[in-house]
Amino acid sequence: MFQLDSFSIFSIAAYLLIALITLLCAPRKDLDSFRLKSFMIIVGGTLLAYASGSIWLFLLGWAITVVPFRGERSGVMLIASTVALAVGAGLNTFSSDKTVHVAAFAAIAIAVLLRKGIFPFHFWVPIAFEDSSLPALNLFLNSHLGAFLLIRFGVPLFPDVSLQALTFLGTLAILTAVYTAVLALVAKRPRRVLALLCISQASFILAGLENRNVEGITGALVHWSVVAFATTALLAVYRSLEARTTEVEAPEGFLGLGYHAPRLAVFFAVAALALVGLPGTLGFAAEDLLFHGSLESHPLLGVGLPFATALNAITALKLAATLFLGRRGIHVPKIPDAQARERWALTLPIVLLVAGGLAPSMLIALRTPSAEWIAELLAGR
Amino acid sequence: MDTLLVGILAAPGITFLALSLVWLLGWTPPEKVVTRLTQIVCSGMALACAYLAWLMYESGTTSFSVSGGSWFHAGEYHFALTLLADWLSLPMIALTIILVGIVAPFSARYLHRDRGFFRFFLLLHLFAFGALLAFASSSYDLLLGGWELVGITSVLLIAFFDERREPVRNSIRVFAAYRMADLSLMLAIFFIHYSPQSYTTIGLLLLLAAAGKSAQFPFSGWLPRAMEGPTPSSAIFYGAISVHLGAYLLLRSGSILDHAPWVSVAIFAIGAQTALMANLIHRVSPDAKTSLAYAAMAQLGIIFVEISLGYPKLALLHIIGHAIVRTLQFLRAPSMLHDYHRVHAAAGGQLAKTGAIYERLLPQRLQVWLYRAGLERGYYDALLERFVVGPVLRLAQWVEGFEPDGVPRLEEPKKAAITSGNQLVEY
Repeated sequence: MFQLDSFSIFSIAAYLLIALITLLCAPRKDLDSFRLKSFMIIVGGTLLAYASGSIWLFLLGWAITVVPFRGERSGVMLIASTVALAVGAGLNTFSSDKTVHVAAFAAIAIAVLLRKGIFPFHFWVPIAFEDSSLPALNLFLNSHLGAFLLIRFGVPLFPDVSLQALTFLGTLAILTAVYTAVLALVAKRPRRVLALLCISQASFILAGLENRNVEGITGALVHWSVVAFATTALLAVYRSLEARTTEVEAPEGFLGLGYHAPRLAVFFAVAALALVGLPGTLGFAAEDLLFHGSLESHPLLGVGLPFATALNAITALKLAATLFLGRRGIHVPKIPDAQARERWALTLPIVLLVAGGLAPSMLIALRTPSAEWIAELLAGR
Repeated sequence: MDTLLVGILAAPGITFLALSLVWLLGWTPPEKVVTRLTQIVCSGMALACAYLAWLMYESGTTSFSVSGGSWFHAGEYHFALTLLADWLSLPMIALTIILVGIVAPFSARYLHRDRGFFRFFLLLHLFAFGALLAFASSSYDLLLGGWELVGITSVLLIAFFDERREPVRNSIRVFAAYRMADLSLMLAIFFIHYSPQSYTTIGLLLLLAAAGKSAQFPFSGWLPRAMEGPTPSSAIFYGAISVHLGAYLLLRSGSILDHAPWVSVAIFAIGAQTALMANLIHRVSPDAKTSLAYAAMAQLGIIFVEISLGYPKLALLHIIGHAIVRTLQFLRAPSMLHDYHRVHAAAGGQLAKTGAIYERLLPQRLQVWLYRAGLERGYYDALLERFVVGPVLRLAQWVEGFEPDGVPRLEEPKKAAITSGNQLVEY
């Protein structure tokens, strides 16, 4: 019923860390009993899904994480993903016919595409960013249950179909990365920009899995950690700015908030640059592995990845500049800089991203056994 | 020798990390501490570099590499940490150390009591580390790391005066140009690994990367925008080290360019065109720093021409000489009027007019056309805006039109508090 191995234990540990950072950084108004219940539901569901050894238990965890979003505009897509996964699991369990297995994998693939916000189902993510509580959404998105589902159940249960379908899924992921990176160039509201950045960079996890070699898959798994920690820090800083001033919701020019909050500005800038692979951060090592892994199996990724990250880097810097620079100090609202609670919580992902970038071999070594296991699965062994 | 080379490279990196950490923990070191620390680091690096050069001379070594094993590995891929000191990298390393050592004490006075004093020195150390890494790396993968660090520090220093909008706007524009150069370099690396025999493709991508970093056609428009930064950073970045990284990349890629004669023709064309146009713009620029930026661009064009004609050692000498002279000119730029008055007074109040000699040989209409092209800065920005930036943004706006505004709700939210601005729902 439960399956705990290096892959799931690492995912659980990293996710608990993210949950802790999110909770510590969340503004007090995000910590009322209703929202705390939402956090707990998402964290509980995700941990159940990570630890599950059967697809039905995984489905239960998956469905639990969707509950807090059921009343929102994005809820339709998330419920659809749950239904698709249920259909896939049902078809797999109750029939052993090969054609039915193809349909079952197709249903699971649709669930993955919906959950991860892969083109053409990407549009719910910006909508969710504008509707939902950011800390809860961060916990939901950074579970990356779509990629987890594919690795844990998709490939092992449907080895023949999944190998052919992965090329298609990988290509869609690259298309999503480039498409959302282009869209982010003209997005105005910070929440929408952050949503598009998150989708674009997270798409590389799925694209990297398609590499089918150890270096590419290790790159994808390390990139998973980069996306999780960097976006957690980005969303935490942005949410703390929203709690301090309403100006950030729809800025009409440079806000210059870094004048009074330089540490928040630095946390945001480092997380944004780590997300897009700045040298000296873990993002650089992850993208280098993805980049080289793709040389052997998927040259399109080798071209798509640097193009999307180049555009995302411009968008990330533009957003950081809009929020923190460009206005005379006397016109900037007097907001407090990072509080001690936020400072310690935000230092954690930043230190992990920078220390991981300076000495990436330890984290990469931790992820390599999982990558080798996935590569073996994909090789059909 | 190995330890010396690693020590030279590590010193600014460790200083940057140490200063960043103490700042994040809540202590901003006073100016005196930062200045003294920088002096010690720069002096140590200069002595180590001189000793390394002496050891190489004594032992008759023309080049040596230091292997630090693999930085990380997965599967069959290893990221090799190998440094190289040879005829090309060692002079550039020495040049970087000397110029950082000169610019640092100048900046200590120039930025005295400035709000961004600490930030400037922090970025100066990161820049020194990035530049030394780029010059000392023996692989393109490692060079890319240093290359990108130089780019990001450059951008952050352009936005140094962050209370004004224009420096921030210009820093984003410069970053966009840099990212295009980075993208070209990444794709070149991709082809070097994936298809090493595609010399012409690799060469053209390396040329694009080099042109972006060295502000050559068609990327020249970013250089005057970069002048928004403080003068010491303009001196070290755009007069000396950063702009020469592109030329260095081409010199380092000599073995690839030897197999791609058409790429050399392209390097010649781009270099010559930029040199001529930058010279024109330099003559009509109204402010000192912009004028110096275009003068530097013109010299870089000539360096590109030298590389294309197969004179790498001449190009290296040109880079070193140009970097030193240009740094001096940039650092003297704030005192230009004072200098002029001093020379004017020394000459007894009568200075002979200079320039405008060869121009008179040209037909009047051509003079006017060239003057206008100079004023419009060679139409470089207009061309990029029209044929690259504009279409990309229009494409993004066009596809955004297909993005759905929303999907229907299944049920109403528990507590709805919708703000009119951006449909933000707090539940």
